Amino acid sequence: MNNSVISRRTLLKGLGSISVGLPFLEEMMAAPGPGSTTPEIPVRAFNLFFGLGIPAPLQKEGFEGVLEPLAPLKDKLLILRDVDQVRCDESGINAHFDGASGAFTAEPPQGEARAGGPSIDQVIRRHCYPNGMPAGVAPTVVAGTFFRRSRVSRYVHSYNPDGSVAATMQERPRELFDRLFGTVAVGDTGNAREQHLKRSVLDSVLEQYRFYTGQRSPLGKASRARVADHLDRIREFEQRAFSPAQIEDEDRLRRPDPSMVLHGGLADPGGEGIDITLDQLTTEWRLMADLYATAIQMDRVRFGSLTFLAAGERIRLTGDYHFNGSKRFTFDDSRQLNAGGSQGCSHEWWHKFNEKRTNEALKAHAHMKMRELAWFLTRLSGPDSVEANGRTILENALFTISTESGDGRHSDVKRELSGVFHAITSANGRFKTGQIMDLGAEGLDVYNSMLHAMEIPDAMGPSGREKVPVDGIIA
Amino acid sequence: MVQLRAVTRVMRGIFPVFLYSVIATLLCFVEASGADAERSSGGLMALYNFCESGGPLVRDVSPGGAGGTLQIQDLRRVERRDGALRIFGDAVISPLENGQRKLSRALMASNSLSLEAWITPGSLNQKGPARILTFSGNSSERNFTLGQDGSAIDVRLRTTETSRNGIPSLSTGEEAIRGGVVHVVYTRDRQGRAVIYINGSLAAEGGVGGTLDNWDDGFGLHIANESGGGRPWTGSLHLLAIYSRALSSEEVSRHFEAGPAAADSVESSVAGRSEEELFFENRVAPILANHCLECHDSATREGDLDLSRRASAFAGGKGGKVIIPGRSGESELWLTVHHDEMPDDRYPLSADQKAVIAKWIDDGARWSLDFIDPALYLSHVGVSDHHVRRLTVEEYIRSVQSAVGVDITDMARRLLPADLRADGFRNTAYNLTVDLKHIHAYSELASEIVRRMDVRDFARRFSSRLKFTDNDMGALITAMGIWIHRAPLEEHELFAYRGITTSVAASGGTYGEAVSLVIEAMLQSPRFLYRIENQIGDGTAWPVDGFEMASRISYTLWGSPPDADLLAAAEKGDLYDRQSVSGHVNRMLDDPRAIRQSLEFFRQWLNLDRLNSLNPSADHFPDWDPSLAQDMEKETLMFIEDLLWKQQRPIHQIFDGDFTWLTPRLARHYRLEASLVPDGPGQEFQKVIFPEGHPRGGLLTHGSVLTVGGDEASMVSRGLFVMIQLLRGVVKDPPPCVDTTPVPSKPGMTQRTVALERLSDGSCAGCHKKFEPLAFGLEKFDGLGSYHQMDEFGNALRDDGQILVPGAAEPVEYESSNELMGFLASSSRVEETIVWKLTQFALGRPLAYRDAPAVNAIIEKRPQRGWTWKELVRTILLSDLMKTSMTETLENE
Repeated sequence: MNNSVISRRTLLKGLGSISVGLPFLEEMMAAPGPGSTTPEIPVRAFNLFFGLGIPAPLQKEGFEGVLEPLAPLKDKLLILRDVDQVRCDESGINAHFDGASGAFTAEPPQGEARAGGPSIDQVIRRHCYPNGMPAGVAPTVVAGTFFRRSRVSRYVHSYNPDGSVAATMQERPRELFDRLFGTVAVGDTGNAREQHLKRSVLDSVLEQYRFYTGQRSPLGKASRARVADHLDRIREFEQRAFSPAQIEDEDRLRRPDPSMVLHGGLADPGGEGIDITLDQLTTEWRLMADLYATAIQMDRVRFGSLTFLAAGERIRLTGDYHFNGSKRFTFDDSRQLNAGGSQGCSHEWWHKFNEKRTNEALKAHAHMKMRELAWFLTRLSGPDSVEANGRTILENALFTISTESGDGRHSDVKRELSGVFHAITSANGRFKTGQIMDLGAEGLDVYNSMLHAMEIPDAMGPSGREKVPVDGIIA
Repeated sequence: MVQLRAVTRVMRGIFPVFLYSVIATLLCFVEASGADAERSSGGLMALYNFCESGGPLVRDVSPGGAGGTLQIQDLRRVERRDGALRIFGDAVISPLENGQRKLSRALMASNSLSLEAWITPGSLNQKGPARILTFSGNSSERNFTLGQDGSAIDVRLRTTETSRNGIPSLSTGEEAIRGGVVHVVYTRDRQGRAVIYINGSLAAEGGVGGTLDNWDDGFGLHIANESGGGRPWTGSLHLLAIYSRALSSEEVSRHFEAGPAAADSVESSVAGRSEEELFFENRVAPILANHCLECHDSATREGDLDLSRRASAFAGGKGGKVIIPGRSGESELWLTVHHDEMPDDRYPLSADQKAVIAKWIDDGARWSLDFIDPALYLSHVGVSDHHVRRLTVEEYIRSVQSAVGVDITDMARRLLPADLRADGFRNTAYNLTVDLKHIHAYSELASEIVRRMDVRDFARRFSSRLKFTDNDMGALITAMGIWIHRAPLEEHELFAYRGITTSVAASGGTYGEAVSLVIEAMLQSPRFLYRIENQIGDGTAWPVDGFEMASRISYTLWGSPPDADLLAAAEKGDLYDRQSVSGHVNRMLDDPRAIRQSLEFFRQWLNLDRLNSLNPSADHFPDWDPSLAQDMEKETLMFIEDLLWKQQRPIHQIFDGDFTWLTPRLARHYRLEASLVPDGPGQEFQKVIFPEGHPRGGLLTHGSVLTVGGDEASMVSRGLFVMIQLLRGVVKDPPPCVDTTPVPSKPGMTQRTVALERLSDGSCAGCHKKFEPLAFGLEKFDGLGSYHQMDEFGNALRDDGQILVPGAAEPVEYESSNELMGFLASSSRVEETIVWKLTQFALGRPLAYRDAPAVNAIIEKRPQRGWTWKELVRTILLSDLMKTSMTETLENE
């Protein structure tokens, strides 16, 4: 397992054996990233999702309970309890899916692979960067470590205004590495004439995509947005393909080794779940988290989502769980549940939650998830994440942490989708931190209040809906 | 109609005005008699037949009505007589409202048009030209004008290459018309070829280049004069029509033969639903479906109230009537939702939803549906349902193969991210997103494709002049562009590609290099990677153009682009013609690609890719051989191909077909009787015929379907599969206080016993009775499809059960799996589900209640013996859903 924080440099240099070129990585590390041409702190928003949630009664235990791993970061977080996502319930659809689709959108799903509206990060992105991202910054990056995949909303957590996914999920460290740092070679890079001609091809292609997003386009709103996404990616491709120089061979950075855990259809065999050790799980996740964090540090990404385990995740986890040097629990779901297949998955602990019992296994799983989220967040709160205003990235960017439900028993929609755990960061001083708040508010009102504090005039949710400001979260 | 045709044939040349007027008058009032079959409706944007009995209004009777209603400005100058509008002074007929954006946008988008007029000129000395039909702002600015100049017909058309006044015009020259009733048609196609026909014959021809991009969509449509006057036309108007495409010469001839009265029947098809009906279907029914029917449908009827049907809804429940038309304040339905007492234990209705219910009741509670089918309301409706369709990976591979003859399968599958299944299919447009990896892959693939081509040889297919000159290269790009882009290039695209060739020339490159790079660019163009269709309009469904139709046909039938014949038909305008479309569909159905695509439909619908990940419990199935999963997939596909294509049997027989295709190892795995196990090597497929009454036979007894939900043989998973995928049923969330953890079998307790316990529990039965008994008939098949009389604990297994069809109040009993399969095969609901699924697959989007009338129109065409695959696909391709596309208005309008 990857147990220590790795610096950007060593992380990227030491991970594997296959190399790819990176454009001026050294410069990018030493100086503000390509998107940070001024000392101004860029607007950034990320959604951090974890599967299965924390039952509301356990949230009440605060940092004494399953939230303990977040305690070292508590001054940089605002923990939000009693957030109601009941409006996300879509009759006839599994509540895992409803809740997951509602995380960061506060709307019920609109189809198997479509949310009911935009996620908060995308609302901010489109307002702050209406003409696309600065050169070198990916429009949106969606990544995660997860296995259950019967519906897209279980694991993707960044959505366009029409509810379609904002970016392709990157679920393997190598894919994420390539997405964030890879260069593309178009033609013979040493042949200036060929490069010139290849560029003319790309220019003609760009021009056509521009046409279909412009005034004379025959396309409707959703289609133009889709073509605009394509255009954004072509611009990014162009920047990578025709960046002025490549680093020397000896400075080439290393791609991660091939993933050692299951992906694709094999990771979700008919909803039956898979066997995995804690070490396999956290090694993969931490690599993903480190890559994503590094990309944020290097200003390769400003918007997107990161998922640690899908909604309704089905894994049969084994392994000793340690925290702060002491063993807290031994995961052995199948044996402890005395069942195989889907019935032997950790998911079942959420079904069996009972306030009158100790819920030991559930707590251990939830605690472990908080430990892993903290791993990612801590990567962005150290000295190498301090920005021009003296604050860390964790403090300057908006991180919204949420999950699928406030109770996993599927027995009462209101209860299941009430009390959905949320936490946010200060977004450069816009939100209070260092507190735990019991809001008693709708998720939609919370998100809209966040947008208001971010000076975004757009609102999420149905038009004409009466908004209830949640001013208490605003600094 | 035959008599009319005979009469109109006589009309070529001069025809006595009086006699024709009498005929036209009579025909204005006759019932639709098939006359509409003589006229083309594809691309019809406006149609005026002047059949109003009086008053100042002239109505556009075309289905789309883009011309809008016009108003006669001075009734003293006109006379309605003999079914025509006679204009005898300085009159003008102008729009009720300024601007006909729908009309201008449609014509601009298509870059082609036809103007048709049946007229009787009052004089052959009218000059100006006198405006018969003009789409203009004043006497010197226009989009088009169809005019009479003495005995000539003159047409002005504004394009990027003509003046704002539409000059130079196309004119017939003198003596083209000689008085009497005359049929005039002007057509101008995308390529700029313009033709005037007089009485069905070509009278003038010329080029009107450029595009219509410079049209002014604030101009109005005027008849018989300019808007400000000064260019009057006198005579009688019998018919005026505008099309968003160039009619073919055959169509023009047919229209002439049909005569002006043929258009009168169009009016009868305009009749739509009333506002009250639409309000109920689009606003009220979705609320009832999503918030009320969970407890108050025909099967559950809580409180004896069934809100899914009109009669039962108005009859009320235990407490009496719940809907009092006209009085929401006295209607229990509204009172309970108003006070948040209903929906019980669910989130209350929003204020908007409550207002809809109140308005509906207060307006009289008009109920226009026989049955509210919750399946129709699962998908949300909105313009976002109409995403532009990116080619799927497989479509990309086939499009490349078709366009340039390169098989790029391996590389494309390796480089392009896989398309994910959404709402049942991998071609669902909203989910066909793009990311950097796509862009990189498209770039690399384009380079590799061109590298594998003989570019000069390819270019020779389109132009014999392999020169760098402007004209030669422009001609090559234009011709090549139509083929690769599946439609003509726009001007800006031609410029973009010319930019590449210019760069090559400037850098001393070769002709081959220039063409290579143009092809590379074309393969990355949105016109290649997406299926671009016009989506801008007025929020109603507009006809697709010929090229759009060609792609709809070919990608639906073959999963690949139009072939040369289909593209040529699109170019000629033939694909607006039903018979022509039908002919091409028949031709293409005889191609092996149609078989491949049909199997792709079933592969996606049944999610057969799932078998690649089948990972059964080693404890329960120690002898599992992963190659059996591939055998199962192939069994299903071979069975379907045999039944639907080789035997041409009706589709519904896939549920009770008395045969299958098996390898010996799969037959043994299924525990078939020895007499049915094929001989030969374990992996060789052979056809197996089941004796009558055999428990196997039909899709549901295939391992590929029995493994749905994993290897647990779960009643819930299988029941939900049958209910959702075959019966289009809808199930709600589990009720309160239920542990949903699956219960395993044990001695004395089978999965049926477990299910029956759930069905005896009041809180579970409401939903579970709708789907679990559907799976009872499969109980003897274990989680991997093997057949047993007893489970692993020695419990005896049964295969009797019940089936509750959505909408029905009572279930139907069945005694065996054999009976269950027979029921499914004979169920109209199941057959209709296939129509819905295949239509969704063809359109690349989930269907919603707005699509229901069109899908029902397809269903109504069902042949008596049931649909064969070919019949169903042909009917879908000829349906309104395929011929039209829902448009949306621009935000700033």
